[in-house]
Amino acid sequence: MTLADRIDRYLAVVREWGAGLFHGLFTHPAYEKIEKEAEDIEDTFMLACFPDAFGIPSPVSYYTAELLPYLESEFEAWERRMWDRGSMLERKGEQYHF
Amino acid sequence: MEKFVFFGGKGGVGKTTMSAAYAVKCADAGLDTLVVSTDPAHSTSDVFDQQLGDEPQAVEGRDGLWAMEIDPDEEVEHHLMETKRALGDQVSAALVNEIDRQIEMAHQTPGAYEAALFDRFVDVMRSSEHFDRVVFDTSPTGGTLRLLGLPEFLEGWIDRLRRKRERSIDLFEKAAIGNNEPRRVMDGDPILARLRERKEFFEYAGRMLREHTAFFLVVNPDELSVRETRRAAAGLADRGLTVRGLAVNRLTPSPDDDEDGRGARYLRDRVATERAHLQTLREEFDQPLVAEIETRIEEVKGDFLTEVAGELDIETTPPADPPADAA
Repeated sequence: MTLADRIDRYLAVVREWGAGLFHGLFTHPAYEKIEKEAEDIEDTFMLACFPDAFGIPSPVSYYTAELLPYLESEFEAWERRMWDRGSMLERKGEQYHF
Repeated sequence: MEKFVFFGGKGGVGKTTMSAAYAVKCADAGLDTLVVSTDPAHSTSDVFDQQLGDEPQAVEGRDGLWAMEIDPDEEVEHHLMETKRALGDQVSAALVNEIDRQIEMAHQTPGAYEAALFDRFVDVMRSSEHFDRVVFDTSPTGGTLRLLGLPEFLEGWIDRLRRKRERSIDLFEKAAIGNNEPRRVMDGDPILARLRERKEFFEYAGRMLREHTAFFLVVNPDELSVRETRRAAAGLADRGLTVRGLAVNRLTPSPDDDEDGRGARYLRDRVATERAHLQTLREEFDQPLVAEIETRIEEVKGDFLTEVAGELDIETTPPADPPADAA
């Protein structure tokens, strides 16, 4: 093994660690946080559309019902998040890793 | 005169008679006229002695006159079916039941009936290019006021929903750092497209009501009716809609001067009370009285209708600039 090969192997390891560290420290928490925020807004959207799912009558449910066929993934995720979520604090707390 | 004319007022004051008489007047003046009943307790069929349905039907024996009765129940059913069909096309079998329940529920809510009624009458406005004039015989005051208040309220609501949706999609796009695929994309989002479509629908309705519609209130010369008329006029003004005139119906005929029986005395007293109410209507309302119609002993139908039409002082000229129907 030549010296050049050994340097290359060493650099590859450093690059992998670097990328991992960057991903773990910055990229991952960042997109996770933004995505969670987007989910939160989506939840308020869904709640505004379908408050009758919680027994609150809404005069516009008639109109928002026509959105439902296009909200398949949102609807399922929304329901799941609603079951999972104990409180708003808990939800926000999930975004930090202690 | 505007293309769309609404007759409103308290229950039982004779809105149907007035709107039918006005429609007859327009038809006689050579305008193609459509009468639309939006009152769930339809009586337009009775006035014309002909069973009417959810589509415009030519009124027998009268040229240039069509009539229809809106059936919100049918519209709710139709909307439900339409939504379910889209559901079947879009959603995987596993989730259909869950969402199906939600859709069923939305069609049972108290607002569904009103929303359907509203949808229908905007539809009628939109597809009325064959008619020179469309006369709406509305349900009693409360319901109608709420109905006419809808466009503005719904426009605001839809707008807020759209902004929320845009923000969440925007964040999902931003969260796609590096080579990640965003969970939702703004381009071609079906929800945003639907919301936009709905908003245009409400904007169209609002524009037609504000710019191409004339409102008349039918009133009887009694205390309750006068009061309700005052509230209705104020309620419409709050929504930026002005009442063009008041049509007074059911005036008691006065007896001959030489009569002095019990019936004549009763009539004389009654006429005096009514005169006081008429005075109030003349002095305290900004709107002119466009009709003063005496009680008929028989039902107002057939030739009577033409007679009443003659007493209506509402112009029948076609609209100066007909509304653009494309929305």
